[in-house]
Amino acid sequence: MSLFKRYILPRIIQWIVVIFVGTTVVFLVPRLSPMDPVQTTLSSMSSLGMANPEAIRQMEEVLMDLYGLRGTLLQQYLRFWSYLLKGDLGPSLVMFPAPVISVIGTAMPWTIGLMLVSTILAWLLGIALGTLTGYFADKTWAKILDAVIMCIYPIPNYIMALMLLFLFAYTFPLFPFSGAAGIGIKPGFNRVFIGSVLKHGFLPALSMILITTGWRFISQRALVTNVIGSDHVQYAELAALPRRKIMLNYVFRDTLLPQTTDLALSLGSIFGGALITEFVFSYPGLGQILYTAILQGDFNVIVGVSIFSIVGIATAALLIDLLYPLLDPRVRYH
Amino acid sequence: MVIIRDLFLFDMRFRIGFIILICLFLLVGLSFCSPYEQTARRVVPRNRTPSSKHWLGTNSLGQDIFWQLTFAVRNSLLIGLISTAVSRIIAVMNGMVSGYLGGPVDRVLSTITDSFVVIPRLPLLILVSFVFRGGLNIITTALLLGFLDWAWPSKRYRAQILSLREREFTNTAVYCGMNTLKVIGKQHFPFLISYLLADLISGFLWALGMEITLSVLGLSNLTTPTIGTMIYWANYYQAMLLGTWWWLAPPVIASILAILSFYLLSVSISQFLDPRTRIQHLSIGG
Amino acid sequence: MKAKSAFLQIVFLVAIMTFMALPALAQLPPEIPREDTLIVDQIFRYSTPDNYNIWTTAGTEATRHAFGWDTLWYIDQQTGEWINAVAAERPIYNEDFTEMTVKMRDGLYWSDGVELTSEDLVTTINILKANPGMRWSSELALYVEDVTAVDDYTVKFTLTRPNPRFHYYFTVRWNGVYVMPAHIWKDVENPLEYTFNPPVSLGAYVLRETDPAGYWEIWELREDWERTTTGVIAGKPGPKYILTIFHGPNEKKVMAMSNHELDILMDLDYEAFQALINRNRRARSWYKDFPWAWTDEADTRVFAINQEKFPLNLKDVRWALALALDIVEIQTEYVGGVTRVTPIPQPASVFHMEHYHKQYVPWLKELKLDLGSGEFFVPFDETIPFKIADWAREQGYDIPEDEEAIINMFGVGWWKHAPDVATKLLEINGFTRDSSGNWLLPDGTPWKISIIAAPDEADAYRLAMGAMDQWEDFGIAVEIETLERNPFYTREHMGDYDISSTWGMAGGGNANFVRDKWPFMHNFHTQFYAPIGQASLQNHMRIRSEKLDEIIDKLSNLPPEHPDVPALEEEFFKHWVENMFGIHTVSFKKFITFDETYWTNFPASENPHAQPNYWFMGGKFMYPYLEKSGR
Repeated sequence: MSLFKRYILPRIIQWIVVIFVGTTVVFLVPRLSPMDPVQTTLSSMSSLGMANPEAIRQMEEVLMDLYGLRGTLLQQYLRFWSYLLKGDLGPSLVMFPAPVISVIGTAMPWTIGLMLVSTILAWLLGIALGTLTGYFADKTWAKILDAVIMCIYPIPNYIMALMLLFLFAYTFPLFPFSGAAGIGIKPGFNRVFIGSVLKHGFLPALSMILITTGWRFISQRALVTNVIGSDHVQYAELAALPRRKIMLNYVFRDTLLPQTTDLALSLGSIFGGALITEFVFSYPGLGQILYTAILQGDFNVIVGVSIFSIVGIATAALLIDLLYPLLDPRVRYH
Repeated sequence: MVIIRDLFLFDMRFRIGFIILICLFLLVGLSFCSPYEQTARRVVPRNRTPSSKHWLGTNSLGQDIFWQLTFAVRNSLLIGLISTAVSRIIAVMNGMVSGYLGGPVDRVLSTITDSFVVIPRLPLLILVSFVFRGGLNIITTALLLGFLDWAWPSKRYRAQILSLREREFTNTAVYCGMNTLKVIGKQHFPFLISYLLADLISGFLWALGMEITLSVLGLSNLTTPTIGTMIYWANYYQAMLLGTWWWLAPPVIASILAILSFYLLSVSISQFLDPRTRIQHLSIGG
Repeated sequence: MKAKSAFLQIVFLVAIMTFMALPALAQLPPEIPREDTLIVDQIFRYSTPDNYNIWTTAGTEATRHAFGWDTLWYIDQQTGEWINAVAAERPIYNEDFTEMTVKMRDGLYWSDGVELTSEDLVTTINILKANPGMRWSSELALYVEDVTAVDDYTVKFTLTRPNPRFHYYFTVRWNGVYVMPAHIWKDVENPLEYTFNPPVSLGAYVLRETDPAGYWEIWELREDWERTTTGVIAGKPGPKYILTIFHGPNEKKVMAMSNHELDILMDLDYEAFQALINRNRRARSWYKDFPWAWTDEADTRVFAINQEKFPLNLKDVRWALALALDIVEIQTEYVGGVTRVTPIPQPASVFHMEHYHKQYVPWLKELKLDLGSGEFFVPFDETIPFKIADWAREQGYDIPEDEEAIINMFGVGWWKHAPDVATKLLEINGFTRDSSGNWLLPDGTPWKISIIAAPDEADAYRLAMGAMDQWEDFGIAVEIETLERNPFYTREHMGDYDISSTWGMAGGGNANFVRDKWPFMHNFHTQFYAPIGQASLQNHMRIRSEKLDEIIDKLSNLPPEHPDVPALEEEFFKHWVENMFGIHTVSFKKFITFDETYWTNFPASENPHAQPNYWFMGGKFMYPYLEKSGR
């Protein structure tokens, strides 16, 4: 009980506060920026169609009402929470009256699939390679591996994606260069659909894995270097334990904790999508939806997508903080 | 100086990193003697292949790519360095205060940090850049990036410190009468240094990457040459499709080299600073 | 080692599964043969793909509205031909233009087998009128008092006030009031939220399949295609399947067409187009050779000048800016020489060249600028098209010698490049130069101009760069503010700019291949003026002119065909040019590119049978004429 009061409850309150603050910021910032969904809609309605200035003025008034943009910022804000607490994210403004949740819904599975797979694979790869090269730092292969990863890691995300696209979709047309599944293939749990999804997702995932592995690799290598210097590893070395055993049982295990928490945070943040990768590969993820919404001033979609991201990360952080002391006996609940 | 000389002589990684760094600084230095202004266009014939007159050729905007590159490297390094400095100063301070003081201070700081962690950064960056209305210059871009990137590392530093604080030698040091500052400086900092250096690189890379992302999306000040805007313009004129590699490759290679050199230097220096690894290095590596 | 071997296993699995999927590489599903399918560049991704209610902004109309929707009349955007589609004949007005009667075709059917009748049109109008927020709802509420079905094929509109141009809402350039199937819509409770899925089609195609992610859509030819307007008018079916697909940025469209996975695309930048035709010998645009692109879209590029920003509110200053430009350099070095110059606020399409540009040359040549102290300057330069032709010859392109042909290729002429005259115009207004030749405002502060431009409109952006370079050479400090399209629009509407490198000032949706420019002119009436900070969509330059008001008022009361209209229009354009409200530079061009590997008989310069801009609603009249190549 006292543990709950002293540690867990404050942490949960913090979680609530964080979500509240984050949501408030993503509600406010777009509305303070010069973006205007009414003007966006009006231009899309009239830029190519007939534009009668009298009718446009009327439409402007109508849209202000429909979009709920009347009233002071505070009134809008209160209205926003009263709907949100009922679980209603409202309609998309620029695609009015399509509900935000359905706009997000079409992109969510793709984003989660792509990001989950690439985040986990990059994590495993980074840790494995980082541990090996960190522990066997003086071997030639470790140095070569180190050098190769160091040359891949700083390649800008955009260039990496573009290069993969040119190489493996155009010069050697092994993979399709846009979309997330083949044309006319019905979603379902069958070989054709899954095969097509894997094929379409391969290059986007690969480009993300190549980029994110680098950071994991560096941090793991740094951690390993640290652990190698610690006393118990030194003892183990002196005791002439097999090096493989030392690496796995002593070094690797010690680095696992910080890396796991980091993984949890990365997993919490997958709801933001990967804008650049999605953009280059025309992958139907959340990143693109969010970006378009920002450009068009579609406030409700911006808030909608962001809330997923906010809750995701906040919850991951909460879980880590609650579980960390269980996993690392050295850290006590404070 | 002696240290640098020793490292240079005995550590290959340091040697390579150092040489690249010198080359980059040479480029930066050269930018000040450029015959052209950095935003000037139409100063040389357009679309020329590399030659003795134009080492890296010229682009479709009538700029000499080599001299553009010198400006781009200078500006991008500046953005990266300022942004990393800002974000890591905030992060380390915040992480340390949070980690060492604990209690209510930690709770308040952590809540603030977490609130920043959860807000999606790219959208925020784009929206804020709209508010600045295209008036972003190198310094403001760098500061903006810096202020957006302190929260994540801050959490990591806090976690590191929490873990260090619980270790035996901390207690030993405290029992021996060392004051907190000394414990931090003498006992904990060496543990943090290799992490800090790795983190600095990641911060630098993040800033560089964000600058490129903003530019590729056409949201930065496109007239100022940076690695990102060079890529933007090369792409705008379809360098990839037309095979004008001498336009697209230099900024990409420059960004790779910059990160590479920092990484090599950081690994080498952190080993040098950490007495334990130095011993280990001697005993294992011979 | 565990992590490592687990990782290797995953890599192995992924590799195996990928290769298992390799046979599925072909882009189309097996039951749809490639040779029966036209693959079309879908100009953007559908954000709400399952929403076919294109009467609201939730349903995307572009590309797909040519397949499944229809309306009363069309004007072909290439030939200028008036097409009676759902209507059997032109609109019939009463004497004072307060009633419009529409005779509809019989024998047209919806894809579910129900016949199209007057009830469909009446229901459409009533639903749109009653639901604010739907497309055309404001316009119809404004003008329609009542609408009734006289018989099964006749509809009578009673208007709230005289309007000789009411039928424009049903006459397609981009789109027109889409007719709804009454038997579906009359029971819909909330028309704004209804998704109309699956759509019941009035076009020659029915929806076969949509990508839930919005990247592609397959439409299939109706078996009863002869009972649709294109069937009746063209008498031909067109491709059995049409796949629309959005690939993203230009380089990917080039890649797709290079691999023959795309048959026609909307537009490319100059460089991408060059890369494409070098790679795919069967890919081409409107002209087989230089200047390649399609130049007949009814719109122009313009440097819109904000009339409420000092010193741009001064006529002399605006003229000085125009004369400081070297149009030959701009048209060649910046946009590749591939378009026609236009000195008036009208596109230089074939139709407009005939009826406007060429008609106006006499007074353009006589136009004089007052430089003070009894000095006058004639700004018009007829030799511009020939200078551009010389440039093109230097590049090695084949250019005809015939004068008329060159004018048809590059326009009638533009303003002289006369920095000296521009200098005089500024000096008589109190401007001075500092020691390094930079202009100072009359109060002695440096003159700075900012141009807003959106880079995804390649030409508008490159023109802005040209203007920036040339005005800087002239001594003005210029910067370009690069904006994404939507922020760009918002800044324009709010009047938050000095100069905007823009388009649509020729009327955008209001421009058409008719001898009636009222829809464009009407926007500049002072009654619609809004100060900076309040939105104004069309008159974002915030022009206020009594003279224009007078002309507009006169035109408003005349039917489009009235013999007085051309003279009034001429007066309007003359006044515009004399005041140089906005600097119109070149006409629109698009690299509409098609690959003749699978399909032929696309509209092209030697065979301009229909409008090539297929993503417009009138694109439906292009599809039936396409022929299989047999390759």
